[in-house]
Amino acid sequence: MALLDTAFLAKLDRLSLVARRVRAGQTAGERRSTKRGTSVEFADYRDYVQGDDLRRVDWNIYARLERPFVKLLEEEEDMAVHVLLDGSGSMDWGGESAIGNRRLHRVSDLDKWLYARRLAAALGYVALTSGDRLTVANRQSPISNLRFGPARGRGHALRLFEWLESLDAAGTTDLNAVLRAYAVSGGRAGLVVLISDLFSPPGYVEGLTALAARGHEVAVIHVLSPDEVEPPLGGDLRLLDVETGGPQEVTIDGGMRALYHRRLEAWRDEIRATCRARDAHYVPLVTDTPFDRVVLYDLRRVGLVK
Amino acid sequence: MGFLTPFALAFAALGIPILILYMLKLRRRDVLVSSTLLWQRLLRDREANAPWQRLRRNLLLFLQLAILVLLTLALARPFIPTSVVASGSVVILLDASASMQATDVADGTSVDGMSAPTRFAAAVQAAREIVDGLTPGDAATIVAVGPQPLVLASATSDRALLRRALDEAAPSDGAADWEAAFALASASLAGSAAGSMDSKTVIISDGALPEALPPLGGEVRFVGVGGGSDNLAIAALATREGDAGPQAFLRLVNYSDVDAEPLIEFSADGTLFDARRLSVPARGSADLTLADLPYDMQVLGARLVAEDDLPLDDTSSRDDALSIDNVAWAVHTPPVSGRVLLISEGNLFLERALGALSSVELARLSPDQPLPAEPYDLYVYDRVVTGTLPTGNLWLIGPSSPASDGFSVDIGGVFTATAITDVAVQDPLLRYVDLSNVHVLQARRVEPPPGARVLVAARGGPLLFVAERPEGRLAVLTFDLHDSDLPLQIAFPILTSNLADWLLPQGAARFPATVHPGEPVLIPLDPEATGIFVTAPDGERHSIRVGEQAPVFVATDRVGAYLVEQANQAGDVLQSTAFAVNLFDEAESDIAPRETVMVGRAEVAEEPLAEPKQEEGRREFWPWLAGAALCVFAVEWWAYHVGTRRLGDKGKIG
Repeated sequence: MALLDTAFLAKLDRLSLVARRVRAGQTAGERRSTKRGTSVEFADYRDYVQGDDLRRVDWNIYARLERPFVKLLEEEEDMAVHVLLDGSGSMDWGGESAIGNRRLHRVSDLDKWLYARRLAAALGYVALTSGDRLTVANRQSPISNLRFGPARGRGHALRLFEWLESLDAAGTTDLNAVLRAYAVSGGRAGLVVLISDLFSPPGYVEGLTALAARGHEVAVIHVLSPDEVEPPLGGDLRLLDVETGGPQEVTIDGGMRALYHRRLEAWRDEIRATCRARDAHYVPLVTDTPFDRVVLYDLRRVGLVK
Repeated sequence: MGFLTPFALAFAALGIPILILYMLKLRRRDVLVSSTLLWQRLLRDREANAPWQRLRRNLLLFLQLAILVLLTLALARPFIPTSVVASGSVVILLDASASMQATDVADGTSVDGMSAPTRFAAAVQAAREIVDGLTPGDAATIVAVGPQPLVLASATSDRALLRRALDEAAPSDGAADWEAAFALASASLAGSAAGSMDSKTVIISDGALPEALPPLGGEVRFVGVGGGSDNLAIAALATREGDAGPQAFLRLVNYSDVDAEPLIEFSADGTLFDARRLSVPARGSADLTLADLPYDMQVLGARLVAEDDLPLDDTSSRDDALSIDNVAWAVHTPPVSGRVLLISEGNLFLERALGALSSVELARLSPDQPLPAEPYDLYVYDRVVTGTLPTGNLWLIGPSSPASDGFSVDIGGVFTATAITDVAVQDPLLRYVDLSNVHVLQARRVEPPPGARVLVAARGGPLLFVAERPEGRLAVLTFDLHDSDLPLQIAFPILTSNLADWLLPQGAARFPATVHPGEPVLIPLDPEATGIFVTAPDGERHSIRVGEQAPVFVATDRVGAYLVEQANQAGDVLQSTAFAVNLFDEAESDIAPRETVMVGRAEVAEEPLAEPKQEEGRREFWPWLAGAALCVFAVEWWAYHVGTRRLGDKGKIG
């Protein structure tokens, strides 16, 4: 099935990604750069110093004040947009928990992996259409270099979609490791959108810190399926982790479920606090939320999309 | 509270494997989840707080632990120390004698809603308290001491059985046979020799025990019942044949400390015919002779009239504590026609022996005189047999002349081989007759008729035989009394009496003048009777089988007049007689309670009924614990099934 339909893409055409801080680009693009440059947008004046291009001197000011000022103009560059997909096994999880046997190719609207790829496609499409430099990476452990881009321009959209559809979520992911690795090797600093369920036993905080330290502006889209929010479990159970296969014995009753719920909320609050401390966006999502509503409303509300 | 087997508490350690099994072996369903991360954190928090949390709300585990605790406690045999009257191996001797029917116990011990609680009811209550205080390890034997001591329950620790035995216990109308009861108690104590150290005998009585009782093993306790001595008793009632008809003699004894002048009713065969007032001093007695009794009366009854039977203004009569001796019966037997004709030339021995028999009215006739016309019940021919023998009962002694007409007995010559060879020892006619030193000079050879019983025989021929003839009974002594030393021996009057009893129809053998309750009565059997029926005072009809042995009636438990009917094969009543059972026992009528009793050489003081001596007992309650464990087990079974069904439902959701 197609990740995105055309009607939805048409709506995405009007959107663009927003970064709170402006970052230096490499090539001319459609975004303001930190560099002063050659566009037609006025930015500032400064005193003329020896060596400046005389063509930049604002002669009207010189005539009035008899002092040479150089007119600074905005430089417009492209923005580096990184969409990081958490391709771990736990992401390949739908709304229905399988008992005993691993599910086969079940495709559900509640499936986190499908949801995450749709998000990646939408964000990627927005980035491509707004002339940003897009990199989409599927982060898995062992670290695989499944990466799309960097690419610019709407023409890459179809290829992006095909690439995303070919992805599979499997294995375990050490988010810390993959995020640190990406911070080192991920190229230009820009906007990093991490789409993950954050189910990483070693944690994710250090990875986020590494990304922020690299200068990225980070947005964490935290995707959970409904049965992870409200587990439909009860009785004496042995829970088997999809990623690791590790068992966890638990006796679930009403009190335990309530405790789980509280624990989940606390976990989300903890993530939100972590993100705020690193000046990162945090978008908690449950996959039963309609996808277009997320992109067109929720992400816009948190200021990730304009 | 304590435990008899505290080591059993070690079984509580079984709880550890149960807990371990629960923690390890809890069967869990496998469920695939996307990540156990959150669950791990959750459990880490939770287990850090309470390591036993995983066992919380596990109903089955707690029920199983409860079962274990209950069973462990039950095995440890907990007990509560209680104060009990007796413990160990207890023999309860419950006085069931007539005096226990006295209604002079203090109020408040009334049982079964009876208006007048008797001493026996109080004694049963005391015994019940002892039984209630028994612990499961104790055993009790209950003996009701009546005329025949009765073991109500033998060495059992089944309290229900003991209580039922006490419920069924009833006082008798007779005197208690304490020696037999003590023999029973000794046997019971010896039977439970294992706990002889702990054996006790509790005598519950009003104290009318004989002086000399054998000692008993173990501790002997005496719980006294009863309180007063207020009793009037008819101590004797008898009839005799007077000059002008039957007379009655009555003796009244006053055991109380107050003078009395009670009214006495006399009834003949149940019909009231006279009432007299008799003044009796305190602790004294008075006699009364009543003439002019109905001549055809069979049973005479005398009764002290209770107060409430009298008009209200007559208060001189008294209602005493013991009512069983307020009544008495006497059976009047008309004189039997034991008319005996002795045809003899003069035989002092025979005349004396026959004349000594109370039932014999003896007439003597010389052999040369003709027989009188009026019939006699028995004709005794001494040596001579003249003329035609009369029809009737005959006793021939040393018949010398040949047989007369119509007499089937052949009388032959003389023989001298008279050493006694055969004696029918078992025959009732030879009862108490010792013939070992009897010597006979010579005897005549007499051929016994067919069907005769030869009682004594020598080598030469029979010496004594008896026979039943259609004309009457026949006894033949084949030797002359003068040719023998038999008349000089003690055997002679006994033999004479036995023979006269047999020869005279229902002759001398009568019922005793009075029978004590519980005494067996030998019933003189009519020869033709095939069935004997005894009607007791309570209307119950006993049937006695007529067999080879003399019929004995034993169910003389109640005072009163017993009607004896003997019937033949056709069902016709041959004779209807009666005998009377009366208390007539001074020891029982004197109901003043005793303070002490003597057992062996030890004097046992009375313990008051209200507060008997208490001793430390242990009341175990492990059966309750075991029962509770069973209940919990049932609940656990139920919970298990409900729980599995609920889990199954949840599984469907998952």
